[in-house]
Amino acid sequence: MTSVLAVSQLVKTYKGLFGPEQRALRGLTLSVPQGAAFGLIGPNGAGKTTFIKVLLGVVRPTSGEVTVLGGDPQDTAVRARIGYLPERMHLPAALRGRDFLRSVSTLKGLTVSDAQLTSLLERVGLRTGDQRVGTFSKGMRQRLGLAAAMLGEPELLILDEPTDGIDPVGRVEVRALLLEEKKRGATILLNSHLLTETERICDRIGVLDHGQLKLEGTLDDVRKAASSWAVRFEGEVSAEAAGFARSDAGWTFEGDVVGLNEAIDAARAAGLRVVSITPRTRDLEAVLTESLRTGP
Amino acid sequence: MRQLVRVAFDLLLEAARRKWFLALFGGITLVLLLLGFSLQLDVVDGAIAGSKLFGSLLFDDIVSANHVMAGLYKVTAYVSFYGGAFFLAIACSDFAPELLAPGRIEHLLSLPISRWQLLFGTYLGVITLAALGVLYGAGGLTLLLGIKTGVWNFKLLLGSGVGWVGFCALYAVMLTSNFFVRSAALSGALGVATLILGVVASFRESIAVAMEAGLGRELFSWAMLPIPRLGTLATVSARLAAAEPLEGEMVTRLLAGCFIFSAALLSVAAWRFERKDF
Repeated sequence: MTSVLAVSQLVKTYKGLFGPEQRALRGLTLSVPQGAAFGLIGPNGAGKTTFIKVLLGVVRPTSGEVTVLGGDPQDTAVRARIGYLPERMHLPAALRGRDFLRSVSTLKGLTVSDAQLTSLLERVGLRTGDQRVGTFSKGMRQRLGLAAAMLGEPELLILDEPTDGIDPVGRVEVRALLLEEKKRGATILLNSHLLTETERICDRIGVLDHGQLKLEGTLDDVRKAASSWAVRFEGEVSAEAAGFARSDAGWTFEGDVVGLNEAIDAARAAGLRVVSITPRTRDLEAVLTESLRTGP
Repeated sequence: MRQLVRVAFDLLLEAARRKWFLALFGGITLVLLLLGFSLQLDVVDGAIAGSKLFGSLLFDDIVSANHVMAGLYKVTAYVSFYGGAFFLAIACSDFAPELLAPGRIEHLLSLPISRWQLLFGTYLGVITLAALGVLYGAGGLTLLLGIKTGVWNFKLLLGSGVGWVGFCALYAVMLTSNFFVRSAALSGALGVATLILGVVASFRESIAVAMEAGLGRELFSWAMLPIPRLGTLATVSARLAAAEPLEGEMVTRLLAGCFIFSAALLSVAAWRFERKDF
């Protein structure tokens, strides 16, 4: 499958004028296939926003290779195919919502009619496009930013905390919108602290910590890539001796595949019969905390 | 080019909705309206036979309309040069910091627009705004007095245009400073400081002579050398408006100095902008 974005050995070091150097990205290598919805998760200061800015050409990498939509993000022709919503978008307060979208469309080199702008505003749930942005609530600003990102149906949507400040009902609407965009064929790169949102939208996940990729794969894989297994035995048995633990889900084993096999061998030697072994899926919160604890 | 113009247009659109600029254009309109309704002039064969402002006599004798207009234009040119430059230095000080604000600059840079287009679009927007102010104020006064006296003199527009070149140099300093330290206060202060230094630079030779010979005088002379002579430019602007004779070479040198100064600073800004991470 073609990669929409690929970075290799990406390093970004911020040089302080008087303070120490800060290494935001440390040899990051990652690729996102076309049509994927990629969720980037990680703690504060992990390098997520720097990574996004490198993809947009806003920040220049210290070393490494960056390819976005087959080209260099410094190339304006490449950026014309990207829609971006920054974290904490700062909008010109004196402009009306519609003026702002018209401005962005011109800067994107698009010719957009009034009817198209109205339709886009309605799509993001903004019926107040003729109001000044200065009067907008945080959620409304976020919706306007989202509309700007979606202008011209970009091939790649890079969204930094898109539902920040949006109420729960609005979040559902935004989620539906992003799923529509995905269905259209757009590749989505989502950076969000709301892990349940990420889980519901994304089909691929990357865990970033200290500028390095700790874990990456499909949502199903990372949730399963666990060291936790649910094991069902025939009849009422006691499997503690073999290394299994009793939980709400029945008998579980915590450990790698080799350890699991050894525990099963021990259980079978003790006369227990295994009915099923299922890798326990975890939510993203567990994935994140575990991968941050265990490392790559 | 379309994108550069759009950046400038957005800035004008933003300015049109700001109280500062509404006040500026409102103030100019008010002065023009006051003059329009309260100034009474009886002009006979190019001479003002009778004149009243708010009902009071302005001149006891018959005076030439051209002479009166020259004096008025001279004062207007000085006021618009210094007053306009000071006002605009304060009122335009936050355009660049707003453009470079976190959350806005990343978005702008993610769009298919070059950094130099953003820089020059902002510069173009502000100097166009200043030009509109000059055109409205000087043009309005020219029109008003032209209608009242029947004597059409467009020198005020020319003089104000020269003054506008001085503001272009001033704003180049203000814009460039933001690529080093993003601050509206610093930007405005630098604008005003450049205006003052520009006046000092106009008298650099006479000030240097008054200083004790040595390193101090040499440093002063060198430090003042690149600064546009804004005080002299204001005088040129006023004398042009009053249709007084001027040395063409000196005017050309002054204007060229302002252009070179602005171009040099904008080059520094472009160089810095291209290398800056946001």
